[in-house]
Amino acid sequence: MAKVSFNDVTISAIVTTIGNHKVDIEDEQNKYGFDDKTLNRLKKTIGFGSRYIVGDGICASDLCCQSAVTLFDNIDLKKDEIDGLIFVTQSPDYRAPSTAIIMQDRLGLSIDTVAYDINLGCSGFVYGLFNGFAFINCGFRKVLLLVGDVSNYFTKKDKTFTPLMGDAGSAVLIEKGGGNKSCFVLHSNGSGYKHLIIPAGGARMECSEETLKLVERDDGSLRRECDLYMNGAEVFNFAVKTVPGLIEELFESSNISKNEVDYFVLHQANYYILKNIASKLGVSENKVPMETAKVYGNQNSASIPGTINGYLSNEYSEKLLRSVFAGFGIGLSWAACYVTTDNIFAPVVRKFNNVL
Amino acid sequence: MKQVEFLKLLQDLMQTEVELEEELKLEDLEEFDSLAILSLVSMYDKLGVNVRPGDIADAVTVLDLIKMGENKING
Repeated sequence: MAKVSFNDVTISAIVTTIGNHKVDIEDEQNKYGFDDKTLNRLKKTIGFGSRYIVGDGICASDLCCQSAVTLFDNIDLKKDEIDGLIFVTQSPDYRAPSTAIIMQDRLGLSIDTVAYDINLGCSGFVYGLFNGFAFINCGFRKVLLLVGDVSNYFTKKDKTFTPLMGDAGSAVLIEKGGGNKSCFVLHSNGSGYKHLIIPAGGARMECSEETLKLVERDDGSLRRECDLYMNGAEVFNFAVKTVPGLIEELFESSNISKNEVDYFVLHQANYYILKNIASKLGVSENKVPMETAKVYGNQNSASIPGTINGYLSNEYSEKLLRSVFAGFGIGLSWAACYVTTDNIFAPVVRKFNNVL
Repeated sequence: MKQVEFLKLLQDLMQTEVELEEELKLEDLEEFDSLAILSLVSMYDKLGVNVRPGDIADAVTVLDLIKMGENKING
């Protein structure tokens, strides 16, 4: 069981860039064939609302690079001090090489930078932080963590998935300092890999004419084998039954109680999952932001920083805060951490401006 | 929880106006869909009963849903 703690490592900046096109669920009602009654139930229960997406051809790396440039422009930072660049994504620019390496050059970082991608989704932000904190712990001066995805890459017409998803890319700066202890708890369970999967495009099922065919599936959705499939009920079941225990485990291993936490920023899968988790945790709902997916869409690995920049910018910019972050999803993979931040650079989300 | 309360809760969760009775076939209930299954997973979880989504999807009648609540639903 992976339980790890770090001393004197901290986050000093979090920046998020979102898609520049806002789409309301009502605009997509006909596209996905929702009648009025179903749409109202989806809005009321799951929290369907709006989402921000990018146009065709824009990659997650483009959103992340904009976030990184905003960070460089506002923080007193020598680029040469960045020893590590981690990019958490499931929508890389290419199947190979790692997009992080391409971004080392795009962002003008030193060729001495360690750069690679991590292939994780909703749990990815916490895993990315874990890697970044470990880098600092072994002597790296600063680590730039980039996380994000664009939903167009996963699917275009799947009514069970597409209308939930938003596009975002975040940049996070990790460095030594702060003097606080941080704790991480991380898990993996591959027995559930079929519940969230892109079946085709890897070596197990190569892309072919067959895998590119749009087929109406049992759940009534139009999907190709190279699109992402989600068994929503199984993922929901996993999330509501696993995440409260994960956070309890974090409390135990870090020796803190829920009263000592200012914010529980959890992966914003959807409003319904978060409401269920918050209720089981027994913490005040004003400590558990849960509106992000309603407004921005599910931002995958960028949903935790997306929530900080989307809703808590003033709080994180002006206060010392003790936070629990928790991600859960594809893999299946889930992880949580307890970190302290102090007056960090955390501006309000900005829309993608396509100038890079 | 009494059975009558459970049936009222089910009706609210599925946002249906149909009066639920033990023999009612779930396939005849328009609102018994993937969204209802999520609500039911959450409801059983709150009752402290571990029910998987597949079990709910396989239920044929309202009585099957009552039985899944084990000893938490009676009277």
